[in-house]
Amino acid sequence: MSARRPFVASAVAIGAVAMCAFAEASAADAPSYVPVAAQSSLSFGGTQQGEKFTGVFRDFDARIAYGPEQLSSSHIDVTIRLKSLDSKSPDRDSALAGADWFDFAKFPTATFRAATIRMTPAGPVGDADLTIKGRTKRLSFPFAWKNDSGKIVLDARVSLDRLDFGVGAGEWADESVAGRKVEVVVHLVLAPAPVAGAAARAPNKAGAGASAPKH
Amino acid sequence: MATAAAVMERWGGISRLFHWGMLVLLIGIVPLGLYMADLPLSKQKLKLYALHKSIGLTLLALAALRLLWRSTQRRPSLPAMPAWQAHAATVMHVALYALMFLVPLAGWLFNSAAGFPLQWFGQVNLPALASANPGLKPLARDLHEVGAWILVAFVALHAAAALKHHFVDRDRTLALMTPGVSAPGTGVDP
Repeated sequence: MSARRPFVASAVAIGAVAMCAFAEASAADAPSYVPVAAQSSLSFGGTQQGEKFTGVFRDFDARIAYGPEQLSSSHIDVTIRLKSLDSKSPDRDSALAGADWFDFAKFPTATFRAATIRMTPAGPVGDADLTIKGRTKRLSFPFAWKNDSGKIVLDARVSLDRLDFGVGAGEWADESVAGRKVEVVVHLVLAPAPVAGAAARAPNKAGAGASAPKH
Repeated sequence: MATAAAVMERWGGISRLFHWGMLVLLIGIVPLGLYMADLPLSKQKLKLYALHKSIGLTLLALAALRLLWRSTQRRPSLPAMPAWQAHAATVMHVALYALMFLVPLAGWLFNSAAGFPLQWFGQVNLPALASANPGLKPLARDLHEVGAWILVAFVALHAAAALKHHFVDRDRTLALMTPGVSAPGTGVDP
């Protein structure tokens, strides 16, 4: 039994070191946020037969790590469940679900990942990969970050060409029915992310961490 | 007096143009409406809908102009006929005018409730009569569809009555509105 003690000691030591490293990284990491669903929206505007219409995706997850001083660890990850689309016209919604448009059956989600965020004179800009219908396009994502006494809001507006993603392919490609340009409007009211990230990591460290309570 | 009676012998050229022009459009728009509704979604379908809506808006505008024009015109007197027939003709004319407005307006309402854009021959976009409303949609569709069937039935009845006057009564009813047709009974040039 005593033969095991060195093992336990080293495990505790390794755990302690790991915790310290983790804690240091945490201190430097950009704070993490999630949107307040009731106040956030992901909407888009398009044109159909010469008329503007707007739609929203009601169901999306977003995780945003951002700090103007912690750009290296800042990032934005959004997953959009496309079938939550609502363009205030059930006919149009069911058309958009079809294979020529979003093809919900094959591509139920779209993703947006900005792994790097830079600061420009005009404000922060993410270099993002947007994937819709299995096609990924790199785009620049300038956004406004407001912190009104604790209420954090991210606002952004990006113009997309639906054909970059094969949305409205085939006979719909020309603009006689639907315009190619789609304006995406992001309005996220953010709350600090529940420590889900840390909690998720905690079980791995729990054994060692228990004997390293300093942190 | 004799001159005035001669002038009022039939409807004027513009009135006849409204009458027959709208009939031609009606003969086009009804089968189009029946055909397009059952097509699977395609660009072609949307184009046919757009055409149907454009013709429908044209008919609505023509109905308004026609009614306006009619109010400025002296109406030719009907040939002698039983009072109930003259009365029925008036009721029919009122009903036809009402349907000329009701059917396209119900179509417009249907389109609005469905949340679809409305464009006149790709040139002008028209506002929605109501905001998108799935509850209103079937109601407006039924109003449009049933109204259209009643309109078609009334037009047929109206035409049958005119033909009956022409071929059976041999009076000048049909000649009042129809270019190149004279009253069969008289043989007098219209």
